[in-house]
Amino acid sequence: MKIQPFGDSCLLVSFEREISITTNQKVIALFKAIEFKKGIEFLIPAYNSLTIGINQEIWSLHEATIYIREIGKDLESIEPVGNNKYVIPVCYESPFSLDLEEISSILDISKEQLIELHTSRNYRVFMLGFVAGFAYMGPLDVKLESPRKSNPRLKVPSGSVGLAGLQTGIYPTEAPGGWQIIGRTPLEMFSPEREAPTLLNAGDEIRFRAISADEYQIIKLKIETGIFEMEVYDE
Amino acid sequence: MSSMLKLHFRKTGLKTTIQDFGRNGHQHIGIPVGGALDKLSMSAANRILDNEVNTPVLECTLIGPEIEFEGEGMICLTGAEMNGSIEDEPIERYKAVRVKSGDILKFKGAQEGCRTYIGIKGQWKVKSWLGSYSSLSSYLSEKGFMGPVQVNDKLEIEDLSSNENLPEIKIKKPYYASCYIVRVVTGPEFSQFSIEQIESFFHQIFTISQDANRMGYRLNERITGYDSSAEEISSGIIPGTVQITNSGQPIVLLADAQTTGGYPRMVNVISEDLNLFGQMKPGDEVKFMLATL
Repeated sequence: MKIQPFGDSCLLVSFEREISITTNQKVIALFKAIEFKKGIEFLIPAYNSLTIGINQEIWSLHEATIYIREIGKDLESIEPVGNNKYVIPVCYESPFSLDLEEISSILDISKEQLIELHTSRNYRVFMLGFVAGFAYMGPLDVKLESPRKSNPRLKVPSGSVGLAGLQTGIYPTEAPGGWQIIGRTPLEMFSPEREAPTLLNAGDEIRFRAISADEYQIIKLKIETGIFEMEVYDE
Repeated sequence: MSSMLKLHFRKTGLKTTIQDFGRNGHQHIGIPVGGALDKLSMSAANRILDNEVNTPVLECTLIGPEIEFEGEGMICLTGAEMNGSIEDEPIERYKAVRVKSGDILKFKGAQEGCRTYIGIKGQWKVKSWLGSYSSLSSYLSEKGFMGPVQVNDKLEIEDLSSNENLPEIKIKKPYYASCYIVRVVTGPEFSQFSIEQIESFFHQIFTISQDANRMGYRLNERITGYDSSAEEISSGIIPGTVQITNSGQPIVLLADAQTTGGYPRMVNVISEDLNLFGQMKPGDEVKFMLATL
């Protein structure tokens, strides 16, 4: 664990230079341990780093460094906290699966195999970024490792599920982007009126479940009428 | 006695948004801090009007809006000089001005600086989100929150104070040149750059490109001898972070920048000098100077 000043009012804590679940667990453990500490203005957990905004009216960067180094000593012993385990329904059918055809042929697998591979394992939410609520999740099965689109779309529809490298992600709002879009979820990944505006948080775990276009519409309706309940799994 | 002032936007200007100090503490879910790019000018307008310093203001960019007032109230212009006038009467910046029904506030293009702030005395009747009125991109306006100002938008501000007299506050009018020296501290990936690259970064004069908005300013020039296609593992970025893109062009990140990024973070502009970027416009010159914390 390395701590260094970042700008004149932040600290940057960096862990092993890799994208892995064990390294990201340390990031999230540190995030949870200091989340509500007075004198910390904001936190940005990422794959292998944590950016910490320090209120220097409360303490100096130096004092904060000493405190964080102390907490960091037993990150390993902090039990992984009970994060959410959500099932995210995804419709992999047209018109939602904008790039499914193309990316299956690039990866040289059938569309059915792609969907099977995408839905057959659990993914970790490594971090949120890019736009409010965009969750970077992975790692994907290596057979799904995808190049980004050479011409990014100016508008990717909200709810689109995409692949890029060994990551999978969901566009929480309409945004520009170069991920390969394979389906769409009816869930509201980001909603400013909600008390927790984002559905997912860094450290959560998810799995995808393939749904039909009919079920997509039913879930949409349930969400609109406020009777939808998130499906969770436990293992 | 309370009074109500309504603003009718007849023209939007180039980009006019509601801003305050922004929302801190939601970066972990990917929400940028937002807020006025030039917080000094923004808070000056509020101090002159005897508002709380964090009261929202209108941030106008290069070309100001055209606003018709209904009711009575006090306004104050700070920041860039855009030759604001009411009924062809020029308005002096950094001074409270009384407005009444039918008055129309107009601007010419920015003559000096880039962003003018319009402070209005009283409480703003707009929806706040996560503790701030700062308008984010359009996804919030779809949900009934105020996005960037549109033609025919209306704003209401209620002044509940009974005191007619504003305190005497002397604020020195800033002068905005078109060349700036900005202090920076080393960033997380500073040591990855070669001596030659570092020298070229600090020796050359950069110019602000057309690709300059509230998310960040891309600079036209490149640092010498830099050619990288290596992607860093995405990590946190903050307003003031200067990233070097693969082509060697620096980008200075500002208030609406996303919260994570993958380009190497070479240096960080110190908070005090970050306000200056709010007043820089495409074509302006900037030189960086290394400072210590």
